[in-house]
Amino acid sequence: MQLLLFNAFNGLIQGVFYALMALGLALILSLNSVINMAHGGFLVIGAYLAYTLAPYLGFWGALVAGPLGAAVIGLIVERFLVRPLYKRPDPLYTLLLTFGLALIIEDMTRTIWGAQGLPFQIPDILNSSVSSVLFFITGYRVLVVGITLLVVLGLWLMLRYTRLGIRIRAGTLDLETVSSLGVNIYLLRALNFALGCLLAGLAGVLAAGILGLTPPMGSSLIMPSFVAIIVGGVGSLVGAVFGGLIIGVAAGITTTYFPAASDAVIYLIMLVVLVLRPRGLFGQEGLFE
Amino acid sequence: MTAGAATPGAASGGGRDGLLRLDGVCRHFGRLQAVQDVSFGMREGELRAVIGPNGAGKTTFFNLITGFVPPTAGDIWFGGENIRDESVVRRVRRGIVRTFQITEIFPDLSVYENTRVAVETAAGLNGRAWLTSARRREVAERVDELLVTVALADKAHRLVGELAHGDQRVVEIALALAMNPRLLLLDEPTAGMGDRETEHMVELVRRLHAERGLSILFIEHDMGIVFGIAQRIMVLDQGRFLAEGTPDEISANEKVRAAYLGEAA
Amino acid sequence: MNASMTGSDAAVAGERSRAASPTAAPRRNLRAAGAVVFWLALVTLPLWLTHVGGYTALGTKILVYGIAALALNLLLGFTGGLSFGHAAWFGLGAYGAGMTLKYLAPSTPLAILVGTVVGGIAATVLGPLVMRRRGIYFAMITIAIGQLFYFIAVRWNNVTGGEDGLAGFERAPIHIGPWVYDVQNETKYYYLVLVCFAVAVVIMKLLLASPLGHTWVAIRENRRRLQFLGVRIDLYIWAAFAISGTLTALAGTLNAMLFNFTSPQDLHWILSGNFVIMCVLGGMRKFWGPLIGVAIFVVAQDYLSSVTDNWMTAIGMLFVLIVLLFPKGLLGMLGRRGKEAA
Repeated sequence: MQLLLFNAFNGLIQGVFYALMALGLALILSLNSVINMAHGGFLVIGAYLAYTLAPYLGFWGALVAGPLGAAVIGLIVERFLVRPLYKRPDPLYTLLLTFGLALIIEDMTRTIWGAQGLPFQIPDILNSSVSSVLFFITGYRVLVVGITLLVVLGLWLMLRYTRLGIRIRAGTLDLETVSSLGVNIYLLRALNFALGCLLAGLAGVLAAGILGLTPPMGSSLIMPSFVAIIVGGVGSLVGAVFGGLIIGVAAGITTTYFPAASDAVIYLIMLVVLVLRPRGLFGQEGLFE
Repeated sequence: MTAGAATPGAASGGGRDGLLRLDGVCRHFGRLQAVQDVSFGMREGELRAVIGPNGAGKTTFFNLITGFVPPTAGDIWFGGENIRDESVVRRVRRGIVRTFQITEIFPDLSVYENTRVAVETAAGLNGRAWLTSARRREVAERVDELLVTVALADKAHRLVGELAHGDQRVVEIALALAMNPRLLLLDEPTAGMGDRETEHMVELVRRLHAERGLSILFIEHDMGIVFGIAQRIMVLDQGRFLAEGTPDEISANEKVRAAYLGEAA
Repeated sequence: MNASMTGSDAAVAGERSRAASPTAAPRRNLRAAGAVVFWLALVTLPLWLTHVGGYTALGTKILVYGIAALALNLLLGFTGGLSFGHAAWFGLGAYGAGMTLKYLAPSTPLAILVGTVVGGIAATVLGPLVMRRRGIYFAMITIAIGQLFYFIAVRWNNVTGGEDGLAGFERAPIHIGPWVYDVQNETKYYYLVLVCFAVAVVIMKLLLASPLGHTWVAIRENRRRLQFLGVRIDLYIWAAFAISGTLTALAGTLNAMLFNFTSPQDLHWILSGNFVIMCVLGGMRKFWGPLIGVAIFVVAQDYLSSVTDNWMTAIGMLFVLIVLLFPKGLLGMLGRRGKEAA
């Protein structure tokens, strides 16, 4: 029983990373109409920046600086590489572009920081267990869940109540109309892209504290995030979060009984959802077809 | 002078002598009454126009006949059968074929290839990976024949996306003809055309009706064309049936004049 | 068909449409000549490739990837379905062939058959999950579905060899009656692949010239209009998906036997992306575009990985440059048929 709890909790943590990734991907997918294959790359950038800056800024400073760095680089990428492609209606091109970027970022990370895994130092106090029975619930893991909850809540409030958020939501529904209302949609999409990259960077820093840093950490996290979006429902941010948590926990539980299938189970869940409910758990009807 | 009076027996089998009948058809979008209680009948081989000021519900009227929107009330009869619940596709198979106000073609294909897709679709060949040479010749002859009919044979190998607007509309008609229509619906066939193109289109419509005996129903803004070629005209105004009759009757109709003058004023 | 015209009228029409492009006949001759040169070059490739700095296996690899890219392009360039998961069918073909040779029987034709059928069935069964989606969603689901097989290959260690890949099999000599064709010889294997390539090309050319192929192109051009004509387009997208997947699996079987090895990399989304960029690089609106893309890409990859450790970055740059500078591909830039005909 404790093993099951242990694995389920591990899965939940993993799911939190999927959810953060999927949330950023979904934001960029719906407003920028870009399947950001480089999203894993931004995760890696966030993580490695935090690693590099931690000696100067401390853990907490790095926790903020890493994601911000990812967002800034996202902003630059959007401005100079993605933006020229908006006028081409075929999603093929942004897909290939970000695919190329994913290769470049992973390779450059390897060149700069080395192919070896690196440890990410977290404050000792966070390393101790919160409960003596449930030894696996460390302070850091609680922190990961807590930060994610705060971020998701903050994002929800922002999308609901701030001007930027309302414009982003409106833009995902009908970009043309938003543009005709005098909103600068280029700026809107740039900020949205950066916001997505910020979430990826945050996922990177948080994941680094548990999984350590490796150059391919991004590409191993991006695929489950796609699955999270499909399971949750394309076009639904809520769906992306729950999709991520569901497949994370499902993979964790599967580890208990049938470790070899823990990756495949994610895709099996996706297939089942696609067969039984093609638009995903939270997807709107018609959007998908 | 209502359509109901002209074509009796609507309740029992829906006017066996008529090609198309609408009985008290309504369609609203939310609170907007786009088409309200319109009845209408048309015989085989007729050339008819639908006119009306902007917002009269002409396009919705077409969409009801072709199945793009279902009616909220009323019945639609075609060839003696009630088709009110049938899909666009079913109606196309029955021979209710339309063209579109905004050109809907395959832009990067040639005129020939555009027409061939429609011919192959009409013959139910879409899924065939192989055709006998006899079958292939049949298709080619049919395409050639259609291109001669619409007088586009000399442009057969041009890409449709690169043709003049008028020619693109003619390609639309070729696509529609390929589907072997029993009733051809043309949505503003001369919209956006120059004088020569318009003349060409009018001539084509007249010829299709005269030589092939095709039943044609068209929406048109240009009154010169409407009164020049239509045998009968139906007038819609603000979603309601206003009048129906020969060009002479319509031009003498007070209500029609009022509706149009009202719009102009 | 309610022909209201006489046959002679139709004949006149045909005459006229041909007369409209006076350059048609010379162009046809030029094409025929080009085809002869092309196939001659392929048939004699083992004789000359080594003299221009290549090696026979490189030529074989180009043909193998060529089959995959041309097959992908049936879906991508001709039907307009953005598949980003074609490595799945390629890898299934490869594992199917490898496992047949390793566990079932040392028969090269059987390995080709089993691998192709396995990949083909998988594509056919999973096709309905994507056939109704469009653009970006089609791409996303194909990416994700592709990864399923990747993880199966990685985790099912004792059968697939896991991360290390599947080794320990060899392409076997082909016995035809008393005659033995020893494909273990590199040149002889090249010719086997060339035959498969030719068969695949003929199949694809015939399909594209058939009503099914016409329907695919029409779906790409304007699927709404086709629906209005009463065509159930999802069925034909499914057909494209299944056929494209099957031929890609054929390429996978040949690839496994080329190296007598296959690994999860043959199922990975990076390979899927490479296939797509090959099509784009050569020009996906042209039948032969993908093959040109393959030739350039495979040679570039071969060269770059020998001169720099950062070849992944170089390939990534290639992606970015192609997207920004050559979106229509090399053949697409050479001008379009319609403009010549005008």
